[in-house]
Amino acid sequence: MCAMTTVNFLKSPLTINWAVTNRCNFKCRHCYSRTDPSDELSKETLFASIEKIVAAKVLSINFGGGEPLLRNDLLEIAAFASRKGLRVSMNSNGYLIDRKKAGELKDAGFSKVGISLDSHLPDVHDRFRGIPGSHQKAVAALAHLKESGIKTSLSTVICKINYTAINELIAFARQNGVHQLNFHNFKCSGLGYSNKDELDLSAAEWKEFYLQAMKAKKEVKDLEISLDDPIIASLGMKTETDSLVKGSVCGKLSLNIKSNGDITPCGFIPIVIGNIVKDDLKEVWYNSTVLDQMRNKKPTGKCASCGSYEDCLGGCSARALALTGDFNNPDPHCWNS
Amino acid sequence: MKIFRNPDVLWREEDDSKTEAYAGLSKGENVEDVGTSVLFSDGVMMSLNLLGTEIWKHCDGRTLDEILAELMSRFDVEPSVLREDMLAFLNELEEKGFVRYDNS
Repeated sequence: MCAMTTVNFLKSPLTINWAVTNRCNFKCRHCYSRTDPSDELSKETLFASIEKIVAAKVLSINFGGGEPLLRNDLLEIAAFASRKGLRVSMNSNGYLIDRKKAGELKDAGFSKVGISLDSHLPDVHDRFRGIPGSHQKAVAALAHLKESGIKTSLSTVICKINYTAINELIAFARQNGVHQLNFHNFKCSGLGYSNKDELDLSAAEWKEFYLQAMKAKKEVKDLEISLDDPIIASLGMKTETDSLVKGSVCGKLSLNIKSNGDITPCGFIPIVIGNIVKDDLKEVWYNSTVLDQMRNKKPTGKCASCGSYEDCLGGCSARALALTGDFNNPDPHCWNS
Repeated sequence: MKIFRNPDVLWREEDDSKTEAYAGLSKGENVEDVGTSVLFSDGVMMSLNLLGTEIWKHCDGRTLDEILAELMSRFDVEPSVLREDMLAFLNELEEKGFVRYDNS
């Protein structure tokens, strides 16, 4: 046998998610970063920080925010990272991506751009994002990116406005030549926390959504459907990363860097474990007590006697932390009694 | 039939684990469960042990027999067993889109 079932040996993160700015031209009702600090690292400091993550043998970097394209120097930053051998991607709302920009993104080395889309219905998406015409711009961005030779993905945060529209979202992704459709679980961070009563699903609704989404994932062959919620394991089903790590991937395969350089386990966990400018990334990766606790969670409450715990490890750590104050507590989305 | 790695797959060897695996090997230990590399592409991930990693690294246009000959000189294993393991492993990689077979 040559392939392993789990991994526990990584010398550094495989991927860094980097919120290079918190500025945004949208007003999304579930935004996790509206309450984050507005400080940004200069281009020169970002270059030096990228050198550090290259030295740590990180393989890929995904720019986010905020809207990363509001940084006028994003193309230079991406080109620098790409020249250093990193695989570069980005999450964007697509509003600023016209044909010219798509070509520039390709030239800067972007291999993939994810476009956020909350609904296949223009009115619903525009209302949710707070910007009229944003759906149309997102659709146009997908076409421009495809034309320029950049792979695209759709990022949909599942919530009350879209959880019954799985088939419609799949059809939309296919129609627009999208490579991957990401169904992200709803995180109660930032405005997502403030608006959770209105937007978040009940545990029973989450269960039904995942049963239907996993069924679609099995059936659909011409589109990659990605589901990243560790709670799916309690249905006896596997997500993409289950073959390597159990539970949340944050702090096990990836780390997050905020616009001011602060390092957090993921974008939805507001615990600062270091700073990319001041600290050594591998030192943080190996020695952070927070990461150690996240990698060695202890079951509490109903998790302690649950037969699924070994696979789901309590579900999403960020959600448990946000809603209960302790990431060892059961994921509040868990439907098991 | 030549075998090529998919250049879109990101991969990395893990130095500490590799050292551990070679140290174990030199003492005659079974190091099958020591992961020494990780591969990922579009959310699909794999971790490989020492033998898997060496096979992966040799997928640069060589044929199965060429890779087999190379590895036989380095690993103490029956050729028929290694061939069978390699075929199953390469088929798994091919199914995931991590390698491609070229029959031309």
